[in-house]
Amino acid sequence: MSSILEEIETKIAGLKTSTTKSNVGIVRETGDGVARIEGLSDVMLNEMIEFPGGVYGLALNLEETEVGAILLGDATKISEGDEAKTTGRLLSVPVGKALLGRVVNTLGEPLDGKGEIKSDTFYPLEKIAPGVIKRRSVSQPVQTGIMAIDAMIPIGRGQRELIIGDRATGKTTICVDSIISQARLNKAAENARDKDYRPLYCIYVAIGQKNSNVARVLAVLEKEGAMPYTTILSATASDSATNQYLAPFAGAAMGEWFMDNGMDALIIYDDLSKHAVAYRQVSLVLKRPSGREAYPGDVFYLHSRLLERAARVSDEYGGGSVTALPIIETQAGDVSAYIPTNVISITDGQIYLETDLFYQGVRPAISVGLSVSRVGSAAQIKAIKQVAGKVKLDLAQFRELAAFAQFGSDLDTATKARLDRGQRIVELFKQKQYNPISVEEQVSVMWAMQNGYIDSVPVERVKEFQLKLQDWLQTRKEPMLRAIREKKQLDQDLESQLKSVLEEFKTTWQ
Amino acid sequence: MQVKKEVRQIAREMLRVSFTDGQLDRGRIGSVVDSLLAKKPRNYLKIVEYYKRLLRLEAEKRHARIETAAPLDPETASQISLNLGRRYGADLTTEFAVDPGLLGGMRIRVGSDVWDSSVRNRLERLQQQL
Repeated sequence: MSSILEEIETKIAGLKTSTTKSNVGIVRETGDGVARIEGLSDVMLNEMIEFPGGVYGLALNLEETEVGAILLGDATKISEGDEAKTTGRLLSVPVGKALLGRVVNTLGEPLDGKGEIKSDTFYPLEKIAPGVIKRRSVSQPVQTGIMAIDAMIPIGRGQRELIIGDRATGKTTICVDSIISQARLNKAAENARDKDYRPLYCIYVAIGQKNSNVARVLAVLEKEGAMPYTTILSATASDSATNQYLAPFAGAAMGEWFMDNGMDALIIYDDLSKHAVAYRQVSLVLKRPSGREAYPGDVFYLHSRLLERAARVSDEYGGGSVTALPIIETQAGDVSAYIPTNVISITDGQIYLETDLFYQGVRPAISVGLSVSRVGSAAQIKAIKQVAGKVKLDLAQFRELAAFAQFGSDLDTATKARLDRGQRIVELFKQKQYNPISVEEQVSVMWAMQNGYIDSVPVERVKEFQLKLQDWLQTRKEPMLRAIREKKQLDQDLESQLKSVLEEFKTTWQ
Repeated sequence: MQVKKEVRQIAREMLRVSFTDGQLDRGRIGSVVDSLLAKKPRNYLKIVEYYKRLLRLEAEKRHARIETAAPLDPETASQISLNLGRRYGADLTTEFAVDPGLLGGMRIRVGSDVWDSSVRNRLERLQQQL
């Protein structure tokens, strides 16, 4: 009997003494946000490493006798001879609806002073993108509220559409407009208790931007009431290269939560040129071999695995989606540089913004010839297809003829008509920033253009005509707009309504 | 430390021949280094440096450092050495040290493996969980 008691005693004692086994290494070198650690024989790639003082690192280089780790947090706290240990965990960020309306850093910690983020779900930063079986094709639109995009370069939910252009050509503005448009649509659907509408939540990832730019975007989104549906993830120019490199992956993890839970998300990576630069810095400091323009060999894989995570999953997996709008800044319009060509080839199309157009006053400065959307047209609603089917062709022909018409004044009537139509389309597609247009108004305006109601308006007054028409439709013809929104296509009844409405409007317009 | 591939290869080869019956052999190490210094191939100093490092890491894998808050009695110490020897092989060398900072309990390090049952470690873990 006493032996049994002794046995139990020893068992209890065994439970009380908690011995932990860990794998440790010694910091041999540290600097530039990177530590080289000797030992750590059991460390895994991308595993988190704990340093004294609560600083964490990420094991990126596993070598024969050393481990190269990038440091998250205050790198100055680490010195040579410190003991680092493995944690067996992957870097994760909090995800979920608690992040909406917040400004966070790469690790999901709040930066806006609005208190802690209560989320009990964490997603790893690096995750394999959904495979072939889980996916379905893009079929629902993302209404950006920018007429030129929705009509000619439509974006679908689950698509990756690159926004490319020189500095100060309105790349960020297009994205902010899209966020505002989503917020308005979400709010309208909430107010109308529309169960069928799938709200689109937005994540704006700022990589290597100026703090003032991020603050400005935040101010605009707050003013327009878009923040309740938006998360801003900020890794600005003053953050470490490590944080800038990881930021888009953290954003993708936050977006994936929406997708996994049958919701839709839109992620904006602003911008991937600076992301590539941050990754180049990390790689060079880790002494990885460099390739073209000193970028490491896996810079293509860096962006392809990130953008591959944008997807539309099939209904068996919840039917959610992640749409990605990466931004690339070109130098003097050079799209054939290394990073732009990489990202162009990864994405499902691009919106190319031109400096010349911008200064001519064509804003958004979308170059129609160079911009494409490879999958989005499947997602356009029928009404837009009916009115915008030929617009891209019309505009392309206009550009051709405009160059030709400069040399002669004698033009045949057909050419002249084409030129007039082109000039008016260009005018219609000019749009003020932070002012998205609803899809039913876009349809009405373009129907008016297609059916010659704008031909008699002088070119310089087209914009005024359009704005007045939109205003008039909103205040007087709400039922017709609602009918277009609900039917999503123009039938004979709607066309005759549009006809009478526009004739009525023309009589009041002078 | 960035080391050339060639240097690494030679040093690794030198380490490979430094063993007899799976244990580091002092005589062999001496003769390997002597023959290298006699031949003086390109980068031979770097090779010796890197070889020294590999040897140090190899020796650390076969060396146990046992830290306790208070000195251990010889009987427990020999028991611990015996148990560790059974786990890691008879050629394991042991070193005992006293670190009052542990507050209580014991901390054993062999290579990069650490078993920690010290009070300090438990307090740190508690602090993290809180």
